[in-house]
Amino acid sequence: MNHLAYDPPADTPSPLRAHGLTLAHGRVPVIRDLDLALPRGRVTAIVGPNGCGKSTLLAGLARLHAPEAGRVTLDDRDIRDFGARELARALALLPQSVTAPEGLTAAELIRFGRQPHQGWLRQWSAEDARVVKAALAAADLEALSDRPLDAMSGGQRQRAWIAMAIAQQTSLLLLDEPTTALDLGHAIEVFELVRDLAAAGKTIVMVLHDLGNACRYADYLVAMRSGEIVAAGAPSEVVTRALVHELYGVDCTLLTDPGTGAPMLTNVRRARAPKSASADT
Amino acid sequence: MWRIAARGHDGRWSILVDKRATAANLLLTGLLLAASLASLCLGSASIGATAALRGLFGHGDAMTVFVIRELRLTRLAAGLLSGAAFALAGCLMQTLARNRLATPGIIGIDNGATAFAVASVVGTGFGLAPPAMALAGAATATAITFGLAGGVGTRGYRFIVAGIGVGAAFGAGTQLMLARAPIDNANTAYPWTVGSLNAADPLAVELLAVGLPAALVGAGLLARALAAVRFSDAVARGLGIRVGRCRLHALALAVLLSALAVAVAGPVGLIALMGPEIARHLSSRRGVPLFGAALAGALIMVVADLVGRRVLAPIEIPAGLITSVVGAPFLLWILLRPGHRIGA
Repeated sequence: MNHLAYDPPADTPSPLRAHGLTLAHGRVPVIRDLDLALPRGRVTAIVGPNGCGKSTLLAGLARLHAPEAGRVTLDDRDIRDFGARELARALALLPQSVTAPEGLTAAELIRFGRQPHQGWLRQWSAEDARVVKAALAAADLEALSDRPLDAMSGGQRQRAWIAMAIAQQTSLLLLDEPTTALDLGHAIEVFELVRDLAAAGKTIVMVLHDLGNACRYADYLVAMRSGEIVAAGAPSEVVTRALVHELYGVDCTLLTDPGTGAPMLTNVRRARAPKSASADT
Repeated sequence: MWRIAARGHDGRWSILVDKRATAANLLLTGLLLAASLASLCLGSASIGATAALRGLFGHGDAMTVFVIRELRLTRLAAGLLSGAAFALAGCLMQTLARNRLATPGIIGIDNGATAFAVASVVGTGFGLAPPAMALAGAATATAITFGLAGGVGTRGYRFIVAGIGVGAAFGAGTQLMLARAPIDNANTAYPWTVGSLNAADPLAVELLAVGLPAALVGAGLLARALAAVRFSDAVARGLGIRVGRCRLHALALAVLLSALAVAVAGPVGLIALMGPEIARHLSSRRGVPLFGAALAGALIMVVADLVGRRVLAPIEIPAGLITSVVGAPFLLWILLRPGHRIGA
């Protein structure tokens, strides 16, 4: 599957856009006047150094963080105009390092994904049962459906959380550092699930720590520094030695992955003449 | 597992029932009925179960009817209602703070209610009836605690620490008022400070008899949202829960329930810790066991009162003392048992 040659299709307008978005923590602006359009049906990775505002941006896109200025639109409608449940049927979010009550099983967790579709008089339907079953299958957790989350591996647990978001049946899925604290094998499980979901038509946005994984698994890369976007586009087009230096203050050698055509970073080392090393930590 | 208890023939409505939670609630109800019957039968004059039940419905000799209906039934009602209210308030607070230690008793709400109620009993010039004063005190303590902590949210420990301080200040205020009050007034106020059903205010019992069922309905309406709030604010909002509104409503219910329960029984706050814990152990982890917690709280209060009345009879040990003796080790167990998170 070669997902890297990405051309923004003109006939499918971006489902989620930020227009002049300014987000602040208290009175300190973290994101300033940011414009962004996320490609439909693709995997977008937001990368950047610690503190660059990537998680804040994701929170803003998911309406967890109210903007100081500007707006976020979902299918050309301001997300502030959506009802709480209405938004949860259009956009699912998996925050960073989530925990569940002790003893909760995978199937029980995934059922929570149906909440936005349920009500006091419609607590469980055949449709709910079908969707939960499909989400378990999508995350390859059918054999583990009755296992408590605390008795699962990190990768299985994270797939269960993603399955909960799948059960929301949204066209958009936002993931905040979904592979932090996972080892290589478990991280790959999560990334492959993300690719499968994109192949099935979901628009996915994930904040990632690791530029290498972002290049490998994203169609569209948004590189941020100090609350601003410094580059956006297909990884093979935007990732350059200069960009890596600008983001992380390191030098590297860039290769092309012979299998996928994605950029690969190697020989990463501290830049010899670090420019303003403490500007953004 | 879940079971669909009822469904419209067109599939447009359906009600889910959790089998394990239902079993737990049935068990607790059975125990509660047994404890209630024991509470009616046992006393300075023991009455047989049959005679007690007949007396309850106005049959039998006048003395038995009087003892059952006028003395023991009012006391039993006070115990059932206040125990259920304490535990339901505790369960709500623990859930919205995601911390098992965050009960109204520990974060100072009970002490605030007690201080205001005592202020009216010892005659410091406040003229309102004790239940109204308890409510004012509970609301004041809550406002100060959350004001100091800057809201509840993710800073769970911050508002617990603030609440412990506020509770200590109100507790000291209560002691000061009792120390300065004329001895007769101080005696009147004494049950308020340890927690006892001995001098339950009939007005407060009546208020709670109305307030508790209403609060149970309100809590039931919040149950689905609260189950999602247990994860985190971000997860709950991602699932379409209006977290701020849910938290405000749950907090208001908890304050109201605590205040009315304190007005009936004084600060027997440890029930708020024990009731939900028992319910959580018996129930499944899928939902918040609000109803189970209320049943368990009522059971603890009725049993504690019964034990307090009988163990050193004719000397009566206040129920609050019994729950403290049992509750302190229970608290330590919650804190120290290995392999468990304190988060609710």
